[in-house]
Amino acid sequence: MSTALAENADKIKSIVCYILELEPDEVMLDSSFVHDHGVDSMGAIELLAALEREFDVEIEPEQLARMTTLAGVQTVLAEVAGW
Amino acid sequence: MTGMGTTHHATGRRVVVTGIGAVSSIGTGAAEFTSGLRAGRSGVRPISRFDTTGFASGNGCEVPDFEPRRWLRTLDPDRLGRATQFATAASSMAVADAGLTAEQLRAVRGMVSIGTTDGESADLDSLVETEISDGFGATDRLVVERVSPVRLATATAQELGLSNVEATTFGTACSAGNYAVSHGFDAVRSGESEFALCGGTDAMCRKTFTAFYRLGTIAPEHCQPFDADRKGILTGEGAGVLLLESLDSALRRGAEIYAEVLGSALNCDAHHPVAPNQASIARCIRKALNSSGVKPSDVDLISAHGTGTKANDITEIGAISEVYGDRPPRTVSLKSMLGHTMGAASALGVAACALAIKHGFIPPTINHVRTDPECPIDCVPNKSVATELNVVQNNGLALGGNNAIVLLGRYGATR
Repeated sequence: MSTALAENADKIKSIVCYILELEPDEVMLDSSFVHDHGVDSMGAIELLAALEREFDVEIEPEQLARMTTLAGVQTVLAEVAGW
Repeated sequence: MTGMGTTHHATGRRVVVTGIGAVSSIGTGAAEFTSGLRAGRSGVRPISRFDTTGFASGNGCEVPDFEPRRWLRTLDPDRLGRATQFATAASSMAVADAGLTAEQLRAVRGMVSIGTTDGESADLDSLVETEISDGFGATDRLVVERVSPVRLATATAQELGLSNVEATTFGTACSAGNYAVSHGFDAVRSGESEFALCGGTDAMCRKTFTAFYRLGTIAPEHCQPFDADRKGILTGEGAGVLLLESLDSALRRGAEIYAEVLGSALNCDAHHPVAPNQASIARCIRKALNSSGVKPSDVDLISAHGTGTKANDITEIGAISEVYGDRPPRTVSLKSMLGHTMGAASALGVAACALAIKHGFIPPTINHVRTDPECPIDCVPNKSVATELNVVQNNGLALGGNNAIVLLGRYGATR
């Protein structure tokens, strides 16, 4: 994990939990938003929009397929933000 | 699932389309709309109704030259939002096109039913903008007064001076036009109404553009339904209104008949906020065919919902294949030309189907390069085809699984 990503890890997790309405201690790095937490595609779009706003980046909707876990979100965000 | 398919085709009066009003990005009035459809005209242009700065793309299908004063005789256009202007103008056009006068309609009981997605959301956009920039006190009272979507239908009654009508606005989004036509059809067939002015309307608004943009479904340049490289929808605007009356009434007054309304079906699966459900669409198609008393092999053309998104087109064609098998009828998407006109979409669709039947041609699916193998249909790419049409199916599929399908037939055809 790069330094920039490490610095933002808590912020990312808190956005994920806030938008998807999940408790921080139930969200693991590799727990599935869909299968473990019952998130639907509208929730995923909301998350994408919130991350774009908070980190001032643009994320292509195609990336949603990779953003199905906290780890996946971190990876995509690190790529688009150049961390 | 609730099904409200109309199943009394053997009873009740026969109902025909005798008047068409159209406001669209490819032509306003039945004649201009027809030539746009036949030529495969594209309604795409840069959006001018609101500022698209900050979006990666800003194309849409606006009506470029709409002049409400050309069509409205009674009401002050400034007191109507743009969607209401479209609906009242299209209604007036339909009455004139049917060779009727408002005075004749006032003598009998009727129905006005107008479908919409957004109502006057463009006015809401501007009210909120004003409130944020200058405070609530600065908002324009005239704009506030014209915002209610109920006015989409009641303004038409006011414009034409119709007091003996039921005036209803349907908010069933992208299939609302078909809902409204279905409602008008039922009223005339049952004898509750002697005529129905029914259709749908919507005006370009920032809210809807932004929402579809946010969902990742706005195409950057043009709309390419069923194409392997399709990139989504373009938002559009306009209105389609039909004048329906009983066959007896049309024959009695020697009216020109565009087409007969054979039947319709509605269902709502509530499966998902935005994703269409194939099994439910297939059920709605079967119900509509059954209501119309026609077999799948009787259908010559399907005017698809055909938004040009990955999900819609595959799911819709899947449902069509479920019902029609390996050789479905030719299936076109008017949205390739008109963009997604939301509540007007399936109303302009019914209007186009009636015109196609009357004039013997199939409007093309434009912007087409290579058919998606997952949408194995003949979409009549890029050029219209001259042919006789006896039965045409018009699909409307909306958010939340609100499906509505209307079938039209050529009057005088033997089946």
